[in-house]
Amino acid sequence: MTRSNSQARRSRWLLAAAPLALAMTLAACSEDAPGTGGSGSAAASEEPQTITFTYVQANPDETYYDTLAKDFEAANPGVTVKQNKIALTAADQTIPTQLQAGNGPDVFWINAGSGIQTSVGQLGKAGLLLPLDSSVYAGIPESQMAGYDLDGKTYGVPSSSQVNGSVFNDELAQSVGVNVTATSNISDITAQCPKAVAKGQSVYGLAGSTPQNNGILAVSIAGSAVYGVNPNWNQDRTDGKTTFASTEGWKQTLQAIVDLNGAGCFQKGAAGAGFDALTNGAASGKLYGFFAPSGAAKSIMDGSGGRAKLIVLPAPAPAGVAQKLTLSSNTGLAGNAATKSPQLVQKFLAFSVSAAESKKIADAQGSIPIGEVTAASLLPQYAPVADLVTSGNTIAYGADGWPNPEVYNALGTGITGLLTGQKTVDDVLNAMDAAWG
Amino acid sequence: MSVVTTQTTAAAAQLDRPPRRRRGKATSYRLSFGHWWWALPAVVLVIVTIYVTTAFGAFYAFTDWSGIGKWNWVGLENFQKIFKNPEMLGSLKNTLILAFGFLVLSNVIGLGFALALNRGLKSRYVLRTLVFMPVVIAPIAVSYIWKFVFAYDGPLNQTLALLGLEQYQQDWLADPTLALAAILIVMVWQSIGFAMVIYLAGLATVPQEIEEAAALDGAGPIRRFFSVVWYQIQPSIAIATTLSLIQGLRVFDQVMALTAGGPAGATQTLATQVYQQTFQFGNFGFGAALALMLSLLILVFTVAQQRLTRDRD
Repeated sequence: MTRSNSQARRSRWLLAAAPLALAMTLAACSEDAPGTGGSGSAAASEEPQTITFTYVQANPDETYYDTLAKDFEAANPGVTVKQNKIALTAADQTIPTQLQAGNGPDVFWINAGSGIQTSVGQLGKAGLLLPLDSSVYAGIPESQMAGYDLDGKTYGVPSSSQVNGSVFNDELAQSVGVNVTATSNISDITAQCPKAVAKGQSVYGLAGSTPQNNGILAVSIAGSAVYGVNPNWNQDRTDGKTTFASTEGWKQTLQAIVDLNGAGCFQKGAAGAGFDALTNGAASGKLYGFFAPSGAAKSIMDGSGGRAKLIVLPAPAPAGVAQKLTLSSNTGLAGNAATKSPQLVQKFLAFSVSAAESKKIADAQGSIPIGEVTAASLLPQYAPVADLVTSGNTIAYGADGWPNPEVYNALGTGITGLLTGQKTVDDVLNAMDAAWG
Repeated sequence: MSVVTTQTTAAAAQLDRPPRRRRGKATSYRLSFGHWWWALPAVVLVIVTIYVTTAFGAFYAFTDWSGIGKWNWVGLENFQKIFKNPEMLGSLKNTLILAFGFLVLSNVIGLGFALALNRGLKSRYVLRTLVFMPVVIAPIAVSYIWKFVFAYDGPLNQTLALLGLEQYQQDWLADPTLALAAILIVMVWQSIGFAMVIYLAGLATVPQEIEEAAALDGAGPIRRFFSVVWYQIQPSIAIATTLSLIQGLRVFDQVMALTAGGPAGATQTLATQVYQQTFQFGNFGFGAALALMLSLLILVFTVAQQRLTRDRD
């Protein structure tokens, strides 16, 4: 039996259509978005005046980057900033993937150091970041620029500074006779924790199942015990002159956490608790404070409609160790190496660290502005630590200078092991050394 | 009589003769359901999006790629690292414990429900629906609900306190042993209904007469089950155990939601290690090696399990 001519023609068309459909699908997948990286047709002398801006938005109330983009457009008529908000948990997958694929945004949120995928160290090593002129970050103190450079070039600018310590409800604590100040050390606090336990409360909340909350507690204590004693500890570790396991300050830090847990300073069930335990506990008055970047104070106070009055305190130092305040400027912005508008991107970054915009971001975020800080520029919750901040008696967040995310994870999960009894202090420090490489 | 015979003979002759072809029209009456190239676009799409990407993933298992930038060929170094790392070996052990625990418990309990709700009970249709309902809920949602239940100040510990059993209160998800058991409980709880419906389908094929005959011969319920029913539902056992073994080996949602691999890595599985190494640490090459190893593990166990449960008739 032979096929008709019409059937044969249909067969040939379908055979041709299949690879054509595939080619069109693949071409669509690899097409560059307009105004972003990749080869473009714009002349070198004329940059596109539209840039894309991707940033992290932890909750819908955070609008400071939106305000920054709109202010930039208002100050530069003819310029358009297309915004793209992503969740914090998606940043590490979204931004590096887009940059690697060649369709990344022109400007994006970034972390200082090398601790996560979306960091200056990791993306800079891969050649995906735009080197910045010194004019972009002129006037920003060196301490706030830590971690934004790699191999002699600067790739990002910070958006704000935050104290990594405790966010504390002093009124509630005082009502049961617990007095924690900016100079209270671990021994002072462990002596008072039983008062809170007797009332069915706890001095601190800890999301012990999350490496991030454990890590911020430990590195904040280490700000006094390790980096306060040796500010160049990270460089010494890189040079092989020291290790976590051989540093007395790290042993004191982890032992301090064991002591706080043993004294009942953390809520019951801290080892298995998540972040919801902190918010629920704080909202119900079951705990007085928890360890977090200081911007959390404003979020909670706003969320309570002003009923909660919180202050920012440093993480307590071990007894006998000078108290330091850990200040971190580790979140900021950077430019795409493949952007078609490098000058406009640098102009945007410089605008973001200007005095006026920096103050707007800090006030909206509940943090500390970039640049020179005065007591008047600080929000009320920073009153207990204002002297430390304005006098520059601060230490950078040590983990910002660690070479990879595994070290911080080893610390965070190791602390969970300390709380459950699975690990010893030496086990945790050895694991951190192994992760350092 | 002769007219009838003639007519009958003529009719028979008509039946024997082949059908007369009509001139000028198509003569093929065979129905056609399509041609093989109609599926070609879909086949190409599947090959590109699944098999080609899997092959690329397998390739990166032999490199040190971080997901961005350049990579170097490292050969079998990633695989050697897996077997030298106690944490990875611990993850492998947890994976096998969860997989085989899930296989046994979900199938035994599922078969039990199927036998109980197969015949006789008037409310069996309602009960079947209730038992099956957890299957349709997303595993991550189920896991978060159970995380709330297992929380230190959650309903489980509160119930124990109400019953005067405070001494049995635990931090269920912070104890290394109890946390793994909690994950297994959640996995089994959600999947009992799935195993039940597979076994119900198998039990429907068991002829009731054979069971009645066995009962008449004096066989009790247990003897009837093992001597009659068990052999009849072999295909269902093969399907249910294969699917549950695969599901158990690649468990991810429940672990991430309940414990995220904690406390201190005590509940890490191969699948969660793949996620952590690849997306949290940026070790794409090592993560790909773990994923490849997990895939081979699933393949080996599945083939072995299929051989054990194949129909030997």
